[in-house]
Amino acid sequence: MASNAIIYPDVLDPIESASREYLDRHQEASLAVMCEYAVANAPLIRKVWADAGVKPGDIKSVADFREKAPFLTKDDIRAYRDAHNDPTGGMSVDSPGQTVSVGTTSGTTGDPTPVPNWRRTPAEETYARDHWHIGVRPGDHVCHMLFTFRGGHRRRSLSELGIAEICFSISPFEIPRIVDASKRFRPTSMSIFPNPLINAFEQYFEKTGEDPVDVFKSYKGAIFGGEPLGDRQKALTRSWGLELFETTSLGDVAGACECREHNGFHAYEDIAFIEAVDPITAEPVADGDIGELVVTSLVDRLSPLVRYRTGDLVSIDRSPCGCGRTHARFKLLGRATDQILVKGRSILPREIMGLVEKHDETRANLFQIIRADREMDELKLRIGYDVTRLKDSEDALKLRLYERISVAIEVPLVLELVDEQELLKLGPPHKIPRVTKT
Amino acid sequence: MTTSHPDQIGCYTVHGKTQFYSVKRTELDRAGVQMARTLRSFAFKPGAYVLTVSVVQEVVQFAPFEFALQLLGLYGTNADLSPFDAGRVESLARQFDPVAICGVGNEVLEGLKMMGHDAAAVFKGRTVWARPDAYDAVRAMPGVAARRVVLIGPALALECAKGGLHIDGREWEVVVDNEELVLSSRQHRIDPVSGLKTGFSGRLTDMPCACGSPDPHISLDGAI
Ligand SMILES: [Zn+2]
Repeated sequence: MASNAIIYPDVLDPIESASREYLDRHQEASLAVMCEYAVANAPLIRKVWADAGVKPGDIKSVADFREKAPFLTKDDIRAYRDAHNDPTGGMSVDSPGQTVSVGTTSGTTGDPTPVPNWRRTPAEETYARDHWHIGVRPGDHVCHMLFTFRGGHRRRSLSELGIAEICFSISPFEIPRIVDASKRFRPTSMSIFPNPLINAFEQYFEKTGEDPVDVFKSYKGAIFGGEPLGDRQKALTRSWGLELFETTSLGDVAGACECREHNGFHAYEDIAFIEAVDPITAEPVADGDIGELVVTSLVDRLSPLVRYRTGDLVSIDRSPCGCGRTHARFKLLGRATDQILVKGRSILPREIMGLVEKHDETRANLFQIIRADREMDELKLRIGYDVTRLKDSEDALKLRLYERISVAIEVPLVLELVDEQELLKLGPPHKIPRVTKT
Repeated sequence: MTTSHPDQIGCYTVHGKTQFYSVKRTELDRAGVQMARTLRSFAFKPGAYVLTVSVVQEVVQFAPFEFALQLLGLYGTNADLSPFDAGRVESLARQFDPVAICGVGNEVLEGLKMMGHDAAAVFKGRTVWARPDAYDAVRAMPGVAARRVVLIGPALALECAKGGLHIDGREWEVVVDNEELVLSSRQHRIDPVSGLKTGFSGRLTDMPCACGSPDPHISLDGAI
C-alpha cells in the first residue's frame, strides 16, 4: 500500500550481501554437513560415494571436496531409477512430515523427474529473492504465470511476505486477463514471461490498439525464462517500458536470475555450491574460463544433489556485483554436448547465431554446426538462407558470410549454403538441431 | 502491511464470464481442513499418491484439496489441465501408481487420445474425480471408480466415497433460486460473496450423507 511507511531492506535475506570471506566459510561448513547428510540418507549418493571409496569424514574443506567428492550425472540417476524401479532415481529422501508434495521437471525428453517439495523449496526461496531484488515489496501484486507441475497450489513464498500473486496459466489465451489485471491491480512484477507470450502480447496490442506502455506502467520488471532472450524480444519489451530479467535453472537445485546489472545469472551461494569443470576430463577450470556447471545443494534435505553435472557450459564470475550482492554470477553458453573444439578453440552455437543473423538473407538464424567429433580441424557450417531475399548471388552471399564468420572466429572455415526450407523440415525455427553429425 | 491485502488472486467462471477472486491463505487452509472430511471417506493409505489436474488460476478451488491431501499424509503431485500436458498424466500414473486422480477434464481425454494412450488403461484401478465435461466418459470406463468434481463459483464440490457431492457448509450457504444454485459466504473473507448465481441448476439434499461428513451435499441437474 502506498501509505506504508516501512522502509524495507534492499535484500530479502542478509546472506545475499554477505562478504566473500563469510560466504566461503559458510559454504565450507555447509558442504561438510550436506555430504554427511546425503551419504546417510540418499541411496544413490551412498552408492556413488561407496563406489568411489570416499567417506563423508574425508571432506573437511572445500579443497577436500573438490579433490575427492565423486560426481553425479543424469545417467547415474536414470540407471538407478531403472535398476531399482525408483522414480526419483535414488535421490529422494523419505522424510515423513517433510515432503508436502511432489513436483516434476518439465520432462521435454522422456519421463518427467520427480522433485519432492518441502514447505518452501529452494526454487521458491530464490524466486522470492529475485522478485524482491526487482523491487517487489509487501502490499504489492505480482502476476504469477506458471505450470502446476512446478508445485501445485501450495506455493506461498511471496504471499508469506505479504505480496499477492495473481494467478495465470502460461497461455496466449490469458493475455486479455493479464492486461485487465495489470490495469486493475497495477502489479510491480511478473513471472514467468516467455518468448511465446511476448509474441502473443505483440499481436494483442496490434489488434486492440491497447497502449502497452500504459498496461505495463506499474511494472518494475518481468522475469523472463524458458529459452534465451532474442534481441528482437528485448527491443520490443523495452519499447513497452518493461525491463526483463532472464532466469534459468541452476542445475535442478534452484533458480538463478539476472540482476539489474544484467551481466549474468546470480547463483545464490548459500543455496548451492557451484563449480566449473572441463566437460571431458572433469578437471576444474578457473573462474572466467568455460566449463561444465557442477552444482551441490547446500539446503535441500529431500533431494540432496552432490556434485551434480548439469551439462550446461558456463563461465563463472565470483567478483562482487554492481547490484550490491556478493554471490557468484555465471554466463550460460550452451550445452556441453554442443561444444566443438577447432584447433583448440571452443565454439558454441550461440556464438555463430549472433553472426549469421546479421545478413538479411540469413536473418532467420537457421544453421547447423557439423560436428563429426568434438575436436575438428575446421569449422563446418550449414547455413539456410531465404532465396527470395537474395540480393546478389549465392556465391556472393557465401563470401560475405565467410568473411564475417572467419574474422570473428579465426579458425579454418567451411560453409555450405542451403535453401532455408530444407532446414525448416527438421523442426520449428527454434528447435532445429544446432549440432549434427553429418 | 494491512490485513486487507490478498495472498492469492484466482478466478471463477459463471455464465461464461471469468472474475478475479481474492483469498487469504488462511481461507484456503481452513477450507482444506473441511475438505479432509470428505476425502477421509475413501480411507486412502498415508503415503499414497494423488494426482491433481488443474491450472494455476484455479488456486482458490484446488489449494484446499491439496492441503487436505497433506493433512491426511498423502503425497500430492500435479499436471496441467491441457491436452499438451496429458502425457504427464500418463507418465505420473505409470511412475507413481496414484490411488486417485482429481480434476480430469475433457482436455485430458483428448490429449491422451492424441498421444495414443488409452485413458481407460491409465485410470484403471483408481478413483478418478472428473469434471462435468468428462464425467460420462470416465464413468463408462471399466474398472475406474468415477467420482465428480465441480467448480461451483469459488467453491469446489467434491464427491465422497458414498456418492454425495459435498460442498463446504461452514464456508458457503447454498440456496436454490429459480432452480439455480446461489452461493453466499458465511464466514469472514477478504472477498465476500453474496447471492452469487452459479450457473448450475440443482437441489440441496436434506438427508445426511452415508459417508459421515456433516457437510451438505447437492444434486446437480446441469448448467443453466
Ligand atoms: Zn548483481
